[in-house]
Amino acid sequence: MNETVVSVKGLKKSFKAFTAVKDVSFSVQKNDVFGFLGPNGAGKSTSLRCMLSLIKADAGEIKLFGKDIKDNRSKVLSKIGSIIEKPDFYKYLSAFKNLELLARISGSTVSKSELYDILDFVGLQGREKHKFRTFSHGMKQRLGIAQALMHNPELIILDEPTTGLDPQGIVDIRNLILKLSKEQGKTVILSSHQLSEIEMIANRMVIINKGETLIEGSVHDLLNSSNMVVKFQLDDVSRGEKLLVNEFSDVNVSKASTNELEFEIEKIRIADVAECFVKNNLRIYSIEQKRKLEDYFINMIAEG
Amino acid sequence: MKLFSIYILILFSFCAHGQDAQSLLNKVVNKMEGVTDYSANVQIIADIPLIKILPSNAKIYYKKPDKFKVVSKGIAILPKQGFTDMNAFLSSRDKYMVVFAGTKNIEGVETSLLTVIANDSDSEIILIKLWVDPLQVLIMASEITTRSSGNVKIDYKYNLQAKNGLPSNIKFTVDVKEFKMPKSFSSNPHKTSKSKGNKRKTGTIKLNISNYKVNQGIANSFFVK
Amino acid sequence: MLLKNTWNELIKILAKPRSYIGFGALTLLIGVILVAMKADGKSFISFVTASFEQTLSFNGEILNGNLMAFVILQMLIIHVPLLVALVTGDLVSGEAAMGTLRMMATKPISRSAILGSKLLAGAIYTFLLTLWMAFMAYGIGQWMFGAGDLIVLNNDGLVIIPADDIMWRYFYGFGLAYLSLLAVATMSICFSVFSDNSIGPIVSTMAVIILFTIIGSLDVSSFNSLQPFLLTTHMSSWRSLFEMPVPVDDILNSIYILLFHIIGFAAISFWRFNKKDINT
Repeated sequence: MNETVVSVKGLKKSFKAFTAVKDVSFSVQKNDVFGFLGPNGAGKSTSLRCMLSLIKADAGEIKLFGKDIKDNRSKVLSKIGSIIEKPDFYKYLSAFKNLELLARISGSTVSKSELYDILDFVGLQGREKHKFRTFSHGMKQRLGIAQALMHNPELIILDEPTTGLDPQGIVDIRNLILKLSKEQGKTVILSSHQLSEIEMIANRMVIINKGETLIEGSVHDLLNSSNMVVKFQLDDVSRGEKLLVNEFSDVNVSKASTNELEFEIEKIRIADVAECFVKNNLRIYSIEQKRKLEDYFINMIAEG
Repeated sequence: MKLFSIYILILFSFCAHGQDAQSLLNKVVNKMEGVTDYSANVQIIADIPLIKILPSNAKIYYKKPDKFKVVSKGIAILPKQGFTDMNAFLSSRDKYMVVFAGTKNIEGVETSLLTVIANDSDSEIILIKLWVDPLQVLIMASEITTRSSGNVKIDYKYNLQAKNGLPSNIKFTVDVKEFKMPKSFSSNPHKTSKSKGNKRKTGTIKLNISNYKVNQGIANSFFVK
Repeated sequence: MLLKNTWNELIKILAKPRSYIGFGALTLLIGVILVAMKADGKSFISFVTASFEQTLSFNGEILNGNLMAFVILQMLIIHVPLLVALVTGDLVSGEAAMGTLRMMATKPISRSAILGSKLLAGAIYTFLLTLWMAFMAYGIGQWMFGAGDLIVLNNDGLVIIPADDIMWRYFYGFGLAYLSLLAVATMSICFSVFSDNSIGPIVSTMAVIILFTIIGSLDVSSFNSLQPFLLTTHMSSWRSLFEMPVPVDDILNSIYILLFHIIGFAAISFWRFNKKDINT
């Protein structure tokens, strides 16, 4: 069994009258690319800030590398590289100088050549001496990643790293994260509000909403569970609903409108339902299927 | 007749004293005028209310009738009146009249008091009182009354340059009245004045003069600022 | 880590254009004063000695470098705090506004070390500014006007200090001026800890100095008990070094009050910064 790198239990944080995090719990194993998923305002950034001791949690336990963050802050943070919200640097300093300043307090010795190497790694070669204020959004993100990686941390926490990037930039970041995980054996926590992004890179994830953990587990298991949410567009929905209830007793109809019938069913039985409708002279105009979790998440975002 | 005789006797004695006063003063002025120029080292010890200053050293230069220059490394405070102004005034013999006003013993010396009164009503110096040692023809003390500076009392002591009438010690006692402190940016707004009582009305400046060089021939250009 | 981050802070201070405003302003102000005094210093002297000149004559070079340094220090000690606060008031809140405080706080450096390094760097900057003021006022003044006895006008009267008894007074005088500016710097950093924007702490610092200066100079009985403890009352304590005799007890009292302010503001800053949630 893999070593637990991050363990968060019962995290709670309020700001004056507003409770941002009510009860968040999850754990991250070594070598995970862990997706931290939730709509905007779910409490992701607040949870990450608590983990990095930027803000003090009101209740709960946070352990990083088996150590309580409250009592072992310096030791723990020296093994972590992170970007929380957008990467902010000193506008009046060059990219290299910015990294040099942060490297000095990173807890390990980072040589000048290593800094140049990391700038190359993130695709900023030739821009070392340029002032940060001249950087595009994508370049700023890259520099942010560079500062997260420069001291060779074991755990990397990235808070929505692809926000505002162009499609190529998103692909680059995604490939970088995969490289870090597969080639360098890093543990990565990646927060996002896009399920598709998490699905592509993460192996485990947690979904939170309104400050609470909803579900945690393997990405494959959660997103490829046998049940699907299926929507049939029919000419006679009421007859279709009756047929469904009679022939498929374990199926739950979630929505029946004038021309659409929505229900949850195992993926392999969708064809059976279609065959039944056809046999009973029902005209099928369209069939739409979604993974149950994806549907749930999209509804969450729509409500939020 | 007896009365008339007494009257004539008194009149004669006044005249005699008057002639004595004039001749004594002439002797004093002649002695003064024997010095064309001099230079000397001076130590200045000032004790003036509202001024704190340590003893300072300077060099003074004089050329008759009224040229005077002080050369000091630091700041030296001297009285405005009582130096060359008195000499210059006394040298102009037609500008005053002198009257014998009595005698006084000053440190064992029987001095004659001469009162010199300016003839000109606009003169800066109104009156000078001189206590003169008639035997050595030396001014032992003086009191100058001026229009703008009030009274200055001066006491003299002599040593090596007594023959030239140049003192080795001079003590000036000046009226300070009420020196007003300008409430400018250079005063400390956070400190109140501590010296609230005992307002002295006079201050003294003592000069210890030494190393006189008399009649060495100082050029006029030396005194030009 | 404290020293490493102090070095970082100094790099940041020296890289910011705003840090040079103070040096530029001092150079310009002092330059203007020196040139003006060179052109018409005698009338200034007359203003000081006017009251005495009916009876006394002042001989010697009154208008000299020592007097220039005194006049400049006297004039600028109220204005230099703004130049200090311009930089030190921005040290925490400026980074909070920029977001770089967040970046720094995720590194393995304690909050106390972060703040300690900013306080140290602020102290060094203040020292450099004071040194520059000393160089311009005393150094350039001596070069332009030469040395000489110093004539000082206090509430108790004129004090004339011999030239060879002055340098140590200026050494300690600038030291005291530094201490009072350090108190201002610490106060502005303290305000900076409570704010997330750049301008608030700077304006607050100046407002406090102006307010305390006014309270300190008002002759109102209800303020009398407060005045001895105000920071601004002791910002002029350097003047006491130019009295004869030097009131050592008064100066020591001022030093204690200034140190109390420095330690007090620093303590409040540490307490608040360690508790503070970094949300920016």
